[in-house]
Amino acid sequence: MAEPSNTPATISEVSLEKLVQRDDRGRPSRAAQNVVFEVQNLGVSYDGSPALKDVSLEIYQNCVTAFIGPSGCGKSTFIRCFNHLNALIPGARIQGKILYHEQDLYGPGVDPVEVRKRIGMVFQKPNPFPKSIYDNVAFGPRVLGMTGDLDGRVERALQQAALWDEVGHRLKSSALSLSGGQQQRLCIARCLAVEPEVILMDEPASALDPIATTRIEDLMHELKAEYTIVVVTHNMQQAARVADMTAFFSIERGEENERSGILVEYDLTEKIFTQPSDKRTEDYVTGRFG
Amino acid sequence: MRATLQEELDTLQSTLLEEGELVLRALRGSMEALENRDPELADEVIAFDDEVDRQYVGIEENIASLLARQAPAAGDLRLVLAMLHTNLHLERMADYCVTIAKLTKLVYGITPDQRMMVAFQEMGARCEEMIRAALQSFANRDVAVAESLVELDELVDRGNRRVMGHVLSLGSNPAIREWGLRMIVVSRCLERIGDHAVDIGEQTAYLVTGEFREFTDASNAERLDS
Repeated sequence: MAEPSNTPATISEVSLEKLVQRDDRGRPSRAAQNVVFEVQNLGVSYDGSPALKDVSLEIYQNCVTAFIGPSGCGKSTFIRCFNHLNALIPGARIQGKILYHEQDLYGPGVDPVEVRKRIGMVFQKPNPFPKSIYDNVAFGPRVLGMTGDLDGRVERALQQAALWDEVGHRLKSSALSLSGGQQQRLCIARCLAVEPEVILMDEPASALDPIATTRIEDLMHELKAEYTIVVVTHNMQQAARVADMTAFFSIERGEENERSGILVEYDLTEKIFTQPSDKRTEDYVTGRFG
Repeated sequence: MRATLQEELDTLQSTLLEEGELVLRALRGSMEALENRDPELADEVIAFDDEVDRQYVGIEENIASLLARQAPAAGDLRLVLAMLHTNLHLERMADYCVTIAKLTKLVYGITPDQRMMVAFQEMGARCEEMIRAALQSFANRDVAVAESLVELDELVDRGNRRVMGHVLSLGSNPAIREWGLRMIVVSRCLERIGDHAVDIGEQTAYLVTGEFREFTDASNAERLDS
């Protein structure tokens, strides 16, 4: 018989089902000690028009959480709230609360730069800087003054992003000489180099071919042991493959026919794809809508 | 709306229901051959199984292809999985009909015990009723009809127990004892056909509710002889 391991299991290894508590309607509610973000009645509007209304959910530690939904449902708007990116858009207004380890992300005195250091982001199109591979990864640590053992930090980040074996021998080459899939992994390495706790990914594989996509998905699976990952994806099968939890967003029309995004259902991925509770989710995941 | 997927699901379901009709024909044939001691009809039932097998393999292949190409989810996924199981249950039922036909051929020269033949007629009729109810519950997504299969199955089980009692009282004539032993297997086949019909009912309930549950708990059954 195998010796019992002393290594604490990650949340996904323990049954997520056991950690997710449910309210009297069977929806997931608080899973106390593992909550990274608690979103309370969040709404976002651009120049007065609502883009997203009244979203409440919790993001759990060491999980991959996917946001799915049709175009315009506010899923990208939502993910951008987690690291203050909407604040860069003039006219954007945020209501409600996002608590990050019980601290209000939009409370007074919160430094967006500090937020983005802890909550990194990878975008749809790989966006390496026109610099060397090394300088791309070292960029964040240099800006933040994390320069002790920079070489080691760069190597570790590239290792974690499963890119070291391919680029370790040519760190001085231009990042732009890499393939699209490699560039995206470089962006992930750049994000990891500042040791964030959360990685936000907005359609990270939609510009990549199937092989590069698989590598990113495998990487997400590996990284969740150390990081909490939130991913927006158009590809439902990708959500089904990589995510532990899935949130389905949809579009609601208001009294004056204005469109805004709403959260329809949030649950274990397996539940969303085999036995969704809401008819709108069923219609979306079976391809009958959107 | 995924028109192609919906079309494929509809076609698969009607092919599955057709397979059910073939199984009903196989059952009727095997019971008639048994009752009339008709080895030629028994041969026809045995040969007819190829048709059921063809239908079974066709459905299996189409489901594999649909899963690979269409990646169905939620209700569609449950329908595909329920069809995959139901297909297997139907094919097994047809195999039991073949066994009944083979046993009929082995003993057609022996005069049967009439009490047992009455029991078989009743069990056969119940099994037919159960297959119809199972197919109907599946086609109409009718959980109430699916659940009613448990009571019908109890009647088949009772028939099976009655047959056991009759066999023990058949006496010492070696020919009739051999016949009796063969008939225990026939009875067992009918009993299993009933069980598979209940299993199809369970698939209907899974399809509708999303949760799989056994209607009866075989491992904790009250009776050991059923």
